[in-house]
Amino acid sequence: MKTIKYGLLTAVLMTGSLACQDTLDVNPKAVISGNDLNTPENIEKMCVAAYSALGNDHYTAPFTLWPYGNLRSGDAYKGGAGTADIAEYHFFETFAFIRTDLGPADEIWYRFYVSISRANDALRRLNAISETDFPNKKVRQAEMRFLRGHNYFDLKILFNRIPYIDETVAVEDYPTISNVALTSDQVWDKIAADFEVGTGDLPLTQPEVGRVNQIAAKAYLAKTLLYQAYKQDESYNVTGIDQTKLARVVELTGEVIASGQYSLFDDFAKNFLPEYDNGKESIFSIQRSIDDGTPKGRLDWSSALNYPMNGEYGCCGFHLPSQNLINAFKTDQNGLPMFEDYNKADITTPADFLANAVDPRVDHTAVIPGHPYKYKPNFIFRTEWARAPEIYGATASIKETVAYDSPAFRKVAPFMSSSKNSVLIRYADVLLWRAEALIELGRQDEALPLINQIRQRAANSTGLLKDASGNPTSTYRLGLYQPGVNCAWSQDYARQALRWERRLELAMEGFRFFDLVRWGIAAEYLNTYFAVEKTKREYLKVGHFTKNRDEYLPIPLNQVNFSKGLYKQNSGF
Amino acid sequence: MKQFLLLSLLVWMGTIPSATAQSKINVTGKVTSKGDGQALPGVSIIEKGTQNGTTTNGSGDYQLAVANGATLVFSFVGLTSKEVAVGNAGVVNVVMEDDLQNLNEVVVTGYKAERRADLTGAVAVVKLDEVRSMPAANVMQNLQGRVPGVYIQTDGSPGAAATVQIRGQGTLNASNTGPLYVIDGVPTTEGLQTVNQNDIESIQVLKDASSASIYGSRAGNGVIIVTTKQAKKGVSRVDFTAYATAQQYQSKLRVLNTQERGRVFWQAAINDGLTPTSANYQFQSHLEANGQPVLDNVIVPEYLDAAKTMRSADTRWFDEISRTGIIQSYNLNLSNGGERGNMLFSLNYFNHDGIILGTNLNRMIARINSDYSFLNGKLKVGENFMFTKSRQTEIPSADVLNLALIQQPIVPVHTIDGGWGGPSSGMSDRQNPVRLIEDNKQNHTYLGRIFGNAFIDLDIIRGLHFRTNIGVDYTLTSLRSMYKAYTSGFLSDPTNRVANTDNFYGNWVWQNTLNYNQTFGKNRLEVLAGMEQIQYTSQIYWASRQNFALQNPDYMYLDAGSGNKDNGGSGGAYSLLSFFGKVNYAYADKYLAAFTIRRDGSSRFGQANRYGVFPALSLGWRISDEAFVKDHVSFLTDLKLRVGWGQTGNQNIANNAIFALYAADYGIDPTWTEDSGTAYDITGANTGSLPSGFRRTQLGNANLKWETLTQTNVGLDFGLFNNKLSGTFDYYIKHTTDILVQPPFLGVVGEGGGRWVNGASLQNKGIELQLGYQDRIGNVTYSLSGNVATYRNKVLTLPAEVVNSYGGNGTTDNILGRSVNSIYGYVADGLFQNQAEVDAAGQQPGKGVGRIRYKDLNGDGRIDASDRTWIGLTDPKYTYGLNASASYKGFDVALFFQGVQGNTVNNTNKIMTDFASLFAGTNYGARTLQAWSPTNTGSSIPALTLTDNNNEGRLSTYFIESGSYLKLRNVQVGYTLPVALVQKAKMQRARVYVQAQNFLLARPAGPAHAFTGVDPETPNANYPMPATYTAGINFSF
Repeated sequence: MKTIKYGLLTAVLMTGSLACQDTLDVNPKAVISGNDLNTPENIEKMCVAAYSALGNDHYTAPFTLWPYGNLRSGDAYKGGAGTADIAEYHFFETFAFIRTDLGPADEIWYRFYVSISRANDALRRLNAISETDFPNKKVRQAEMRFLRGHNYFDLKILFNRIPYIDETVAVEDYPTISNVALTSDQVWDKIAADFEVGTGDLPLTQPEVGRVNQIAAKAYLAKTLLYQAYKQDESYNVTGIDQTKLARVVELTGEVIASGQYSLFDDFAKNFLPEYDNGKESIFSIQRSIDDGTPKGRLDWSSALNYPMNGEYGCCGFHLPSQNLINAFKTDQNGLPMFEDYNKADITTPADFLANAVDPRVDHTAVIPGHPYKYKPNFIFRTEWARAPEIYGATASIKETVAYDSPAFRKVAPFMSSSKNSVLIRYADVLLWRAEALIELGRQDEALPLINQIRQRAANSTGLLKDASGNPTSTYRLGLYQPGVNCAWSQDYARQALRWERRLELAMEGFRFFDLVRWGIAAEYLNTYFAVEKTKREYLKVGHFTKNRDEYLPIPLNQVNFSKGLYKQNSGF
Repeated sequence: MKQFLLLSLLVWMGTIPSATAQSKINVTGKVTSKGDGQALPGVSIIEKGTQNGTTTNGSGDYQLAVANGATLVFSFVGLTSKEVAVGNAGVVNVVMEDDLQNLNEVVVTGYKAERRADLTGAVAVVKLDEVRSMPAANVMQNLQGRVPGVYIQTDGSPGAAATVQIRGQGTLNASNTGPLYVIDGVPTTEGLQTVNQNDIESIQVLKDASSASIYGSRAGNGVIIVTTKQAKKGVSRVDFTAYATAQQYQSKLRVLNTQERGRVFWQAAINDGLTPTSANYQFQSHLEANGQPVLDNVIVPEYLDAAKTMRSADTRWFDEISRTGIIQSYNLNLSNGGERGNMLFSLNYFNHDGIILGTNLNRMIARINSDYSFLNGKLKVGENFMFTKSRQTEIPSADVLNLALIQQPIVPVHTIDGGWGGPSSGMSDRQNPVRLIEDNKQNHTYLGRIFGNAFIDLDIIRGLHFRTNIGVDYTLTSLRSMYKAYTSGFLSDPTNRVANTDNFYGNWVWQNTLNYNQTFGKNRLEVLAGMEQIQYTSQIYWASRQNFALQNPDYMYLDAGSGNKDNGGSGGAYSLLSFFGKVNYAYADKYLAAFTIRRDGSSRFGQANRYGVFPALSLGWRISDEAFVKDHVSFLTDLKLRVGWGQTGNQNIANNAIFALYAADYGIDPTWTEDSGTAYDITGANTGSLPSGFRRTQLGNANLKWETLTQTNVGLDFGLFNNKLSGTFDYYIKHTTDILVQPPFLGVVGEGGGRWVNGASLQNKGIELQLGYQDRIGNVTYSLSGNVATYRNKVLTLPAEVVNSYGGNGTTDNILGRSVNSIYGYVADGLFQNQAEVDAAGQQPGKGVGRIRYKDLNGDGRIDASDRTWIGLTDPKYTYGLNASASYKGFDVALFFQGVQGNTVNNTNKIMTDFASLFAGTNYGARTLQAWSPTNTGSSIPALTLTDNNNEGRLSTYFIESGSYLKLRNVQVGYTLPVALVQKAKMQRARVYVQAQNFLLARPAGPAHAFTGVDPETPNANYPMPATYTAGINFSF
């Protein structure tokens, strides 16, 4: 009897333990499968996500390219607490200790491909849906291709030989695509093709200002063709300029101008003030926002290190205008640049800025101790605001920063940032591309009014450059080029004037190094710069540009390894 | 499940022989200990072959009715069991002896208990009595160096984690190298930090696969089995323990004071040929006749700021952030064992104020363990439950320690009006560490954990047990972080904010086992079959709000804020289903064999590979029981050879690793990392709610399968001279294959390109030796024991795309064949002493007199990335522990040394302690005062400079230093009050003790790469290990 009782008890307990096999089927939480995202509403969202990638840059991988376009160009010092504070940026600046395994180069490579993967993801879904179900199909396809083209453009000017992957390639096949599968020129063609679509399929204006339009596509196509026009050999020597491409640049920029949708601001300053975001000079910008429901705001994180070390700000003193750059703003008795002698004497103090004549743009670009910071007459930048003056001197870059009392400013401890948009293509740049193409086509006379248009606006831009008593901060003298009066407007002279104008107009905006490489003058220019600048900045003693190597960053070693050697390293590394 | 049904059926049809009635006699007696002749309470007395039994009372007396002609078995942990035939005597007094080898000790190994003598795997039994009175919030901290092959790293913080690694790093996912803990049968990976060490009866470590394999899944890193105390039958007892500990921060880093900081800056500038100009200092100097500038005076301004609120100071930051730490602990334990049931209740209070100001852990743990018998003792039900409540203060101690090193001494703690001092012009943006402490000290993480199990144990027929056990392990943590607005020098944050984070996680587990034990002549057979099911869930959410009118903890709740709100949350789940069996066989107690098999299913793997099978086999041979040994080698008391082989598994990957997934991601906090969000201000509104989308988070891999660890173990247990000298030796080879890794992927794949794969393989080989000697000289009992363990780790294979991701030059030189814990870098070859040496050296950008010379390893005349090699290894060459104890009458003394030998430490602190050039505007170590100069050429510290042209912060042997140390971990002196005296106070036992810990540190002096920091055990910004001094009392009533 007892036996039966225990046996029953055991059987009851045992039956309970017949655990079900499907206890092992556990669904993932708070995530969604790719197939659930092919509805029209979700495809629109995937397009937004692709745009969003534009603003997911960071001080470690800024899409404003300041470490890559400015630190490497002799226009800017790294700054920060010392050479070891983001040491890789120091290596970029001096070209010493450049290695194939520097983290930030790998990071920015990855970040651009993240943006591309979002555009490709959206394109795959757009391609598969019908226009009936998704009336905006063509426009969104063109937008996505514009975004993809933009990211490939930046990768191209940073790394030269890059793997090109579009939305038709399956992820499993990515590892089979080499960075040298296409020639350099073929990659340019692919990038141009993405913008080309937009020149037809995009509307002239978009109901939402953050979306790219037809004019932006034409402008970016012009930029692409201008870069492609300068033919480089395997070692990055410029071997010639493609006149057909230049002609197309002239045509496209002409269409941008003719559209009448964009023009120069009356005051240069408005390009650098958040209240003029998406103004008439901005053709393509990264939209930044604040108090937008994200934890800290989708701010301009690329500039988060670039504020001075004073109580109103407090971090981190990066990205400082070089003495050479500041000197370049000096003007002669005609108000023209001092092409030959600009760097013979330094201007460093407010007195120097009064004793010497300067281009007003210097006070929009750089600030020195004793000058007002960011157009605030009573907010005077001081040496004490500099972080390591014994190493980097005491200057600051102000184009990318905003005033501490601006509604766009936000302390994001320990950093500073703002919701000011980052303009990637502004109208002045388009005018200068056009001028450059015209000059290289031998039509320098047509370039002259474009350059003078830029200069005239600069000359007019002194309204905000006042000290507390309303006097001009510096002695501003800026003249137009008047052939036969103050210059002889030959092709060579015009080229020099154009290149100088680009430097002053676009200083600290991330373009300079790529201009130098495009023109094929980076090595000579930078080694000349180091030879003089190292007498002012001890740490530049190791600075040296290795020709036929340093024109591009190395293909990140990680990528070469992850490709199991399929990727080929750039020349010289 | 079929096998269970079959077994149940067998059970059902079985029969039980009924017991025949016999006449009973009453036996009484007293049990005493041979060592000191004192009465032994709590000795278990069983009538052999029956369930009939009792235990001795407080004065060692017992009383039991037994059958005529019965034999009594007396047993007590740590003493040799004794069998006494009663005959017809009414009184049986017994003297019990220390069991030096503890061969009859019963240990829990895997869903069952086994005699220690029968073990065939590598099982270490922890001597808990040696550590029980050592103050620690986590008992594992106290086991450092005590169990060979168990490498424990910890630090001095309140509630410090103990990183436990058994027999080397067995897998590549570094966050996943900890063992599986099994507490009263309930598995958990949470560690023992919420367990009261006074509640623990025993700890066993299953080191090899043949013993751990029964726990199959998750046993790859070894298993630590913890059994909590139970009330003993017939014993009613109250134990009270209390101690107080003082902790002293003995290892403060020596940094520059205000004057010295000025001098170092001046010298660095002079060395660079610059005029020293500083925002904070003025210098008076003159030129010597030889043209050398000499510093006469460093002048400090009265105020650091224009507003004259920050008076220049000479702040000793390490003093400002530290204090004497205090630990208090009180433990009450009530137990009551009765005829039909036992009950134990314990309550523990623990409070630790750490040596870093503000750091605190406050914890209470309650436990109820009880069991009850029914059906004449054939059915037993019971439970063990623990509830833990703790409160941890969230001080960012690593930041605080780093800031104490780098914040300039000239900065005052407070401004003259009571505000915060902070960096001023010319300084880096470094926070005032005292402010960090003060502004965080109100932020607490509250933790509640319920852990326990309830079981039914049924004796079906003689020798056949069925047991079902339900366990729970759930934790809830709740943190309210208040971020106050502040101004501290030029640093300020005007926005205050509160963020609440609640995290609930845990699992239930259900186990069913059948145990069958039978003896047939000389054959002994034990069979175990069982199943186990685990379901884990987690849910986390957080919410935050900005702008609070008041900044105090009473006000700063979410509702009280008026600014931005934000929130988020997520969840996770996994389940496991396992079946297992074990057969132990012994012939004549001489030939032992154990076979286990376990089949594990995990929801984390795809349909095809959901189950893994993990077998193990081990054999033992008690050589000392062979006649040819017994008769000829008399000094050999015990000798056992063990050989084991087995496999264990690892499923530690993301819960949803097999799936390809997208997620909605509106945006993250990009302060320290790139935003992954999908929101975009496409309308240019600049603010407000933004449109957003989805992003890919990972690629799937439906073919994932279990990571498998295969281990072979050969061991020898021996006892000599009547077990006065005893020891254990083990040799093992561990081979992990199909290691689950999430390799980095080609950048072009873009976002969410990660996927888990079964990729790499690793090997660990090692030996462990433990020796003990114990004896008695007159009334002095003493024991000496020591252990040493060593292992070598080696990466065998890696997927081609990641073979270069673990160090190496990225192309030809990689980690294969080396330990995964290897360091790769340049070789620093001393300093250039003169210009001739500089000129003679190859091309090294930035080289110069007084600068570090790097070795041109490939001899190509230039220093570049190809001149790097393997320069360090964080694995110790060996680890060891030495214990000595003695007792005389009521006095006892114990000493314990622990050491680690042959590892290297990457002393990154040197970037700040040795250089004025790598980070401007901070403070530096006092070592900069000894920097190389033409008049101090013997120094190994590079000449002072303000600009680092030589790239000296690069990872080189300059930073790689010896991590070896030997510490006197513990010295204890105790006194047990005489029984007579104690009994007058109606107590059973009373002991008082004092002890000191960590107050002696020895490390090799003189080697080329001696550690230049303070304590190699807690290098860089690790929370320092304090010296501690404790006084305590234990009372039993």
